[in-house]
Amino acid sequence: MLNFSKEQKIVTIGDVKLGGQPGELPTVLFGTVFYGKKYRTHEPEAMAEAEGFINTQEEMSQLTGNPGVIDIFIGSEEQAEIRLGFVLDRIPGDRPICIDVPESDVKAHVLRYAGETGISSRLIYNSLNLGLGEAELEALKEYSPGCAIVLGYNPRNMSTDGRVEVLESGAGLLEKGIIDIAIDAGIKNILVDTGATPFDHNVAETLRAIPVMKNKWGRPTGCAIHNTVESWLWMKEYRKTNRDVYLNCDIGANAMPVILGADYAIYGPMRNAGRVFPFVAMVDKFMAEGAEDYFGVEIPDHHPKRRLK
Amino acid sequence: MTLASQIDFPKDKVAIWGHMKTENLGIEKVVANVISNPNIRILILCGEEVRGHRSGHSILSLHKDGLDENGRISGAKGAVPFIENIGEDAIERFRGQVTIVDMIDVRDKAEIMKAVEKELAAGHESYGEAFIVDIISDNKSDRPALKRLTGKIGFHKDLLLDPFLEFDEMPKEE
Repeated sequence: MLNFSKEQKIVTIGDVKLGGQPGELPTVLFGTVFYGKKYRTHEPEAMAEAEGFINTQEEMSQLTGNPGVIDIFIGSEEQAEIRLGFVLDRIPGDRPICIDVPESDVKAHVLRYAGETGISSRLIYNSLNLGLGEAELEALKEYSPGCAIVLGYNPRNMSTDGRVEVLESGAGLLEKGIIDIAIDAGIKNILVDTGATPFDHNVAETLRAIPVMKNKWGRPTGCAIHNTVESWLWMKEYRKTNRDVYLNCDIGANAMPVILGADYAIYGPMRNAGRVFPFVAMVDKFMAEGAEDYFGVEIPDHHPKRRLK
Repeated sequence: MTLASQIDFPKDKVAIWGHMKTENLGIEKVVANVISNPNIRILILCGEEVRGHRSGHSILSLHKDGLDENGRISGAKGAVPFIENIGEDAIERFRGQVTIVDMIDVRDKAEIMKAVEKELAAGHESYGEAFIVDIISDNKSDRPALKRLTGKIGFHKDLLLDPFLEFDEMPKEE
């Protein structure tokens, strides 16, 4: 449906490719695992459930052709080794794994651990953002991950321009732009995240920023738009008795960034993989036909357009 | 604040309660709400800390040390602890108006109610006038002027689409 005159980079991380013109490659889907208090103590039951989610995402990825990336939530230093080890045992080879670590000090620890165990090149770092700390920056330089997601969240200005500014110049909150921080730290592959915000906080700019940022930098771009639905105040009550409706909204929201050219979606809890993959595959089929029929974009054989007739 | 936990309290004992999930927008809303009612003098932080966001630790840090010159909560360990949509005056008012009782990670309602009863018995006085902050504006006057375009489809000032453009090949830019 859309095509950019700006060259759109395709990034290869292990066996996953993402980026390119809208519709060209299947949307890469990041499902988060280990988010929730039930996983805190890593009881066998909870770990078995996590394994089931990982397997389902892998099966859905094989079915649709949308690459699935495991986004591992790590809330503390103690959790890092257990959770990374668990996933690495189950996903051998060169499949990238995403580390979702909110706290700056914990990020530094996880980077060091990954570096010492030789898996840095498989890491997608989620995310390099305004909360950057000194220890984290040093660890990023010393144990550079293969890929980093740079987050365009700017609390001072949530417009598209504000989001661009924090990535480009630091918006007066950092000494330089987050993209340059990533490049200077030696990170070779960069994914842009437009930084989903809640309703009434310039929510549409999360979406507007997708084609604007792809047009500006030509880098793979996406967001975690499910966070907007998750934080919707009205829905918090309604979902208690209407879970299916909530899931429709949570999963359906992923169509919007993809239609606007997003290359990846961080879709939230991996338990939803069975619903998310076919849904996004359907949107990808629309996008791929639009790209091929009008712009002559070549669509690969593993794309849902070809795989799911 | 019950942070990540869902706990309800008797309305005749507790003025207002609820979640607080995020270390930036969540804190802004709590601060704006609390200072709008000068009778709120005690803020009990309880319930499970929010993983990653550390919103409980972040509001404690805000109360203790305020903001640095970039709007970052000094000493906060949360992911992106920046306060941008309420002024320094509101934050100073918050720091002066309330005392925080740190019961982070306490989920036992009976234990929390003991702290509530203790503070009620102490009989804290009102802090004076309400302090009103608008953090979400829905005023028409705050909206940008209507942007009009001629001959283009507008998506953003840097991304205008020309519906009349004719081309055989997409022009490429490196």
